[in-house]
Order: sequence, then structure tokens, then C-alpha cells
Amino acid sequence: MAEPVIGIDLGTTNSVVATVQSGTPVVIPNRSGYRLTPSVVAIAKNGKRLVGALARRQAVTNAERTVVSVKRLMGRKWSSRSTQEALARLPYTVVPHDKERDDLLIQLGDTTCSPPEISAMVLAELRLDAEAFLGKPVTKAVITVPAYFNDSQRNATKDAGRIAGLDVIRIINEPTSASLAYGFGKQIGEKQICVFDLGGGTFDFTVLHMYKGVFEVEATGGDSLLGGDDFDNRVVDWLAQPFLEKHGIDLRKDKMSLQRLRDAAEKAKCELSSTQQMEINLPFIATARGAGPLHLQVTLARPQLEVLTRDLVDRCLGVCEQVMAEAKVKPTQLGDVLLVGGQTRMPLIQARVRHLFGREPSKAVNPDEAVAVGAAIQGAMLMHQEQEMLLLDVTPHSLGIAIAGGFFQSIIPKNTTVPTSAHHVFITVKDDQTSAKITVLQGESEIAAQNELLGEFMMTGLRKAKRGEVDIDVIFDISADGIVSVSALDVQTGLRQSITVTASSGLTEDEIKTAAKANEEWMLGQKEDPEFQKHKARAEEVLRQFDELWPRLKQAAADGLGNEPVQRAEAALSVARLQIQQKESAGLASSIDRLERMLGALRGAVERGLVSPRGGSS
Amino acid sequence: MATLPTPASGGTDLPPELQNELRTFEAVGRDVSLYDLLGVAPDADGGTIRRAYLDRSRRYHPDAWFRKNVGEFGPLLSRAFQKLSAAYQVLSDEDARTAYDQVLKKRLSQRERDAMDRRALSREEQERRQREGRERLLRTKGFARIGAAHKLYEEALELALNGERAQAIAALKAARELDPRRGEIAQKLTELEREAARSRSQLALKGGREQEEKGDLPAALKTYSQSLQMDPTNAAAAAAAARCATALGDHQQASTFAARAVEIAPDDVETRFLLASAFLTLGLKVKARAELTRVLQAKADHKEARALLKRV
Repeated sequence: MAEPVIGIDLGTTNSVVATVQSGTPVVIPNRSGYRLTPSVVAIAKNGKRLVGALARRQAVTNAERTVVSVKRLMGRKWSSRSTQEALARLPYTVVPHDKERDDLLIQLGDTTCSPPEISAMVLAELRLDAEAFLGKPVTKAVITVPAYFNDSQRNATKDAGRIAGLDVIRIINEPTSASLAYGFGKQIGEKQICVFDLGGGTFDFTVLHMYKGVFEVEATGGDSLLGGDDFDNRVVDWLAQPFLEKHGIDLRKDKMSLQRLRDAAEKAKCELSSTQQMEINLPFIATARGAGPLHLQVTLARPQLEVLTRDLVDRCLGVCEQVMAEAKVKPTQLGDVLLVGGQTRMPLIQARVRHLFGREPSKAVNPDEAVAVGAAIQGAMLMHQEQEMLLLDVTPHSLGIAIAGGFFQSIIPKNTTVPTSAHHVFITVKDDQTSAKITVLQGESEIAAQNELLGEFMMTGLRKAKRGEVDIDVIFDISADGIVSVSALDVQTGLRQSITVTASSGLTEDEIKTAAKANEEWMLGQKEDPEFQKHKARAEEVLRQFDELWPRLKQAAADGLGNEPVQRAEAALSVARLQIQQKESAGLASSIDRLERMLGALRGAVERGLVSPRGGSS
Repeated sequence: MATLPTPASGGTDLPPELQNELRTFEAVGRDVSLYDLLGVAPDADGGTIRRAYLDRSRRYHPDAWFRKNVGEFGPLLSRAFQKLSAAYQVLSDEDARTAYDQVLKKRLSQRERDAMDRRALSREEQERRQREGRERLLRTKGFARIGAAHKLYEEALELALNGERAQAIAALKAARELDPRRGEIAQKLTELEREAARSRSQLALKGGREQEEKGDLPAALKTYSQSLQMDPTNAAAAAAAARCATALGDHQQASTFAARAVEIAPDDVETRFLLASAFLTLGLKVKARAELTRVLQAKADHKEARALLKRV
């Protein structure tokens, strides 16, 4: 069989991995059996690395050593405003790193990690899941990013893949990816659709034209700092503000209570997509001086949530209108509207989308999984050329250079189909000028300083001549995955200099290699030894038997057995689950013995209960 | 510039006919029209052009041969696709296509020129027929008119989608005449007209930049000012015009253009500085001081502004 290739949706809050197996896309469940893996990384008190649901579960008690929403920091500069805004909301510590590079590091226990290294831990976990599922090594991957990611953010994501030991054959845009999942296996003649993608941290809107298996992106736009997290934050503020006024305690200042607030806010938000109101109950949330413990108990109703977040939804719709204007299309002309990202489950968003486009949004794709599935399809398309499909994506930002007077001259306009290249001839401005500085920028402002700086490079060794006599031809290339490279040529001498505009907050080649090596070792440690596998199989059998017994056990507890044995069993079970995840072979062996004894005793108790007067009701 | 690979190369998995096509593509110069590149007739409509482009993309996009050993044909594949996509870029935009047609016409064969004339003629003919039809409709009353207006409106949207902006505008104008009270018609019309003006303005701005780079400042100034007239919100055109006027020593004009530029884009520190300098040369010290203060408010470390303010 051909070499496997996986598609990864590396999300702000959750990640998904998928592959194409004998022509059918499948979502790969993680080793705990779930299809969504939280994008959370933590270092436990014992120094172990935790990723996914386990890391998320312990976030409340270990907030400072747990990293969430790292995607918001990918490829960002320390001094940028968006970074500083994001930091105010993150429960862990972020420190500036290299002054020259203006990058940042995340404090994780005793060590510090760059955002790509944290993302690599999530990717490595997904890779292990895929290897366990497919039963063979996996190295080839397609990773998705929001369409609005700039060059630095794309490069940082690619670096994360390399650290996780993956050969990232392509970085593709999330909305485009979702449209591949939509178009896969359908006989579509010609159709124009749009993708409304509101994930955990970013919003993207894309208009696509589909024609006989060719997916042509017409226009794309978005907001890289607008997502489900912001909806949660609104609820957090709504919870914390009255508490602050009443008790003088700001719950957002304490990392642990902030984490509890965030969990409760997210849960309430999700519940309110299907119910009208939801009770939020957070006992012992704080301790007042001299007044003992304080509790937080409020009811949040759906209309209230909608009031809190209306402006966020407005921002999304504003982006939609702008992108449709760029694509020269009216909302009612579109053949279908795809909703992608968990946040699009919100009834308010669905209603507003329905109103704007004058149609019911498509239910053809799963909002959580479509992006990963599309990435897997693109991977299979590239690697195996099985499907007659082709993706024509565009560059989301204009690429250009700084010119005299502080202006920005666009060389490749936004929404140009990639791969693309363009060139621009510069002339020297001074007599005997031997070097020229070229500043490469990405953005839409006419003013150079307001655009994102991708890099600067010096063209040196120019031939001495009168000003205006030396022509320098600068060539800009954007590859099919949106990565920029620039080269310059002295037209008369043929002297060529080229640089790949590396993300200024990216890692150096050496740093990537070191991190990749460390990850390699960690992954080797994760490979299960046969003894552990034996214990794990036994443990899973015991866990299954407990699951079967559980309803009867609950009944027995209510019928006089009491809660105490049940709670003891619960504790022992969670210890065993943790040991499975952390591969503690010896510990697991003794846990199993204990659990088997408990199982025997509890089973006996339940069966005795059956003959007791209340239990034997039939 | 590019050297052609020698034929009969063994190091590639690409089918021989594609290899030949790629060599042909590589050799394609400016003498081959964009229409020929995409394989469409010069009077093809927007939809046909688009479908032709997408069909060819399937063959020439580098991803279509991702895993194949393309050998020395890799760069050729990429350049072939880029030529197609550049051609589509021009032909899918009404104004760019009209401009290109004019250039192309000069070196066309009689047959192709006829085809192009046919496109213009058929447009005129279509418009004439539409006009007559409308006049007939205008004499009728009630629902028929509203229905016809709606049909025209939908047609216009379709045309706009296919990049036929001028025709879309004509259709919308007709629709408005039939049903003057329908807001969406007037709205789309304004939108398209503004878009057309903006696109013409951008084209002029580009032309101006080329002239400026060549050193023909008077011509550049004229083009920039035209660009600004076409789209009065084009800050870049105003700023560029101000820059040219300054270089030409016409400070009166420079101050007018610069004032317009900073009115549209108040954050443009450099143009504001230019405005201040122009005011100063014209002897308007109070105005110059006010602008310099604003420059320093926006960018405190602007050395030239600081020096100039001291002199004032």
C-alpha cells in the first residue's frame, strides 16, 4: 500500500487528524477513542508531558504549567499589539526572548518553549495516534492554517511540523480545506460557494468557485484575533465583573479561578446552543478576608449571551461583506454556505448567516471535522493523485516593498492565485552605491510602516557606477503553500542573491534541529513495551467490566450500600487511566490488582443487594 | 533569458506530449496573444474564459504532477501555470481586458481584428436591441416592467460576476429606467460605477508610477491628477501627485494635492510633512506650523519635521 499521509487541523482549542483509506476519508480517533484532541499541553507536577484531554482536565489545578490557545501566539512578535492583547487573557506566563528577533517564549515548568515547540507537542501526539490507528510509521502530513495567517505564522506552523518529525508536504488554508471535504465525491458541474469558518481563535471567510474538480479560491479574508475564545471571554467578564463589584475580588487575577471561570464559560456557551438557560455553579471560587469561602452561582440565559457577543458576530458579518465585495458576488448568488468551526453551532450565528445569505446553511460537512478531512484529501490528492481534484488557492495579503517616502508598493496583490511570481526593477539612487536595502512587507496599507515586516535584506557587491545606471531586478515568489521567497539580480553583472524570507519570529535552523531531536527521543519513549501492552490490555478489560457494572452499582449505592465504596472505585479508576496515558507499567500492574479485588467485592455487594427487599422490586 | 532544455530527456515521468507542450509554452513570447494562451476566441465571454483557464490549470498546475519526477520540467511547469493565470487575471477584468485589446489590435491579423470587432459590434447590437426592447416595455405598464427590470438586474449580476462590468452597468441603467423605485438596482449600479472608477483610477496610478520611474515627471503628475479625478478617494494618487509637484517646484499644486491626500489618509506622516514644507515655501507659516505639530504628534521622532519646526 502507498505511504500514508495525514491531514491535521491544528486548531486553537481542538485539533483533529484524518487520513484517506482506500479512497474514503476517515477521522482518526485518538488513543483514548475521541475524535477531537484538545490543543492543550501541560507539564504535570511529576515532570511528565501531558497533551490533550489529560492536560485539559488538570488545567484548573495546574494553570501556570498548562498551555492553551498557543495558536494565538504562533509567528507573532513580542512587541505587537495583538500579542499583548492575547497575553492579558492567557493563564500562563509568556516572556520576551531575543530582542533582535522580537520573539517570545512560554514558561512551562522549569523550562521555556517557543510557540512552535508547544504546537509540535500536539502534533507529535496526533502523529502517535495516527501511527497507532494505521499500524505503521507516519511522516507525511498536510497541516491547515487560517486563510488569514501571514507568512510568519505559516512558517512557524511548518516549523512545528518539522519539530514533530513530520514532513509537511503542504500548508493549506482551513476554509479551502473544508470546501474540499464538501466537494469530495460529489459530481459538481459548476458552483460558487462560501465557507464561514469561526474556530476557537480565528475567523475566516472564503468565496470559492468549483468547476469539474478544480477548486478556485476567488477571495478570502478574516480576522486572526476573533474566535470562540472571545465569546468565552465575554462570559468570563460577565461572571467576574459583578463579583468584583460585590466582593472586591477580581477572579481573573488568580490563574486558578480564571481557569475555572473559562471552563464554566465555555461549557455554558456550548450548552446554550441547545438549551435556553444554564446554571453556572462555581463553589469555593474565592476566599474573602475574614468572611470565609465565597461561591459563584448565576443563571445565564441565551438572550443574555447573545447581547454579550452581538458585536463579535457583527464583526464576522462585516468581514463576509467585504470579501464578497472583493469577489464581486452578492450573498444571494452563492450556491451554498458551509459553516465550519465549533462556534458556528451558536443559534445567533446561524440565524444571522441565514438572514445574510437568504438560505439555510449547508449541513453537508461536520463543522468540527471538515477541515482535517479536507487536509487529508489534499494530502491524498498530492501524494497518490487518486482524485481528479485540484486546488487553486490565493495569497491572502498583498506582498510588496517599501519605497521612498515611507510608502508601500504592492508587487503581488492580495487574492492572486498561487504559485505566483513577480519582479520589480530598482535603480540605484546614489553615485557609486555598492549596496541596496530591500524591505519586504505584507499587508494592505499604502503606508509601509503599517504593514507586516517579513524581512529586510541587503543586496551587496553592486558594481560602482553613476546613480540610476545600476538596475537591480528583484523577483518575488510565493509557493503553492503561500511561503514567500525573494531573490535579487544585478541585471548587468548577473550577480544573483537570494533569500527565503524567514519569519522574523521563527526559529533558526539549529533550534529546529535541536527541538526535533528532543522530540524524537520523547517519541521513542512513548513506544509501548510489550510488558506495558500486556498490562494495558488487562486494565482495559477491568475498566470495561466496571463500566458494565456501573449502573447497577449506582443503584446499589442509593439502596443502602452508600457512596463511599463507589467514590473509592472512581478514584482508583482515574488513577489507572492516568497510568495508562503516562505508560507507568509497574504502577499500572498494582492498580489492576487493586481494581480486580474491588470489582469482586463490589460485584458481591451488588448481587446481595439484588435480593434485598428494595433492590428486588420486580 | 531562459534556456530551453534539450529534447529527449530521460529524467522525467511527464508524458512526452506534455513535455512538448511545456517547451512550446516556455518559448511563448509576447507575440502570442493571451486569448491564444488560454485557447479561447477573442470574442469569448467571461464564463468561457474562466472555464478555459480552469481546464488548463488541471494540466499545468504543478500540483497536478506533485509526486511525479518532473526533473528539469519543474520550473517550466510552474512558469506555464503562471502564464495562464496571468492571462486569466487580465482577461477576467473588464478594464484590463479592454486596455489589452487595444494594444493587441495593433498587431493582429485581419481575421482576429474582425473577431474583436464582432465582440464590440455584438455588444453594440445587443445594447441597441435591449434599448429598443426597453422602450417598448416603457410603453407598457405594471408588472411586466417590474418583471423585466428584475430580469435585467439578475442578468447584470451574472455579467458582473463574469467580469463584464461595462455591460452590467448598461443593463442596470436599463433596469433602473424600468423600475426606478427598486433600491437594490440603484445600489448595485452605484457600487459598480464606483468600482469601475476605482479600477480605472488604479490603472492610471500604475501608469503614473511607470512614468515617474522613467523620470517623466510632468507626464506622471498629469496622470496622477487624472487618477485622483477618477477616484477622489485615492489617497495614493493624491500623495504621488503631491510628490511629483514638489519635485517639479510647483508648490502651489503640491500643497493642494498633499492637503487632499492627508484629508483622505490622516495617518500619512510623510505627505503631511511634504504639505508643511509646501506651506512654508509659499510663506504660510501658521499653516505649516500646524501641520508640523501634527506630524510630530503622530511620529515624535521625525527629525526633519522637528528641525523644520525649529526654523519656523
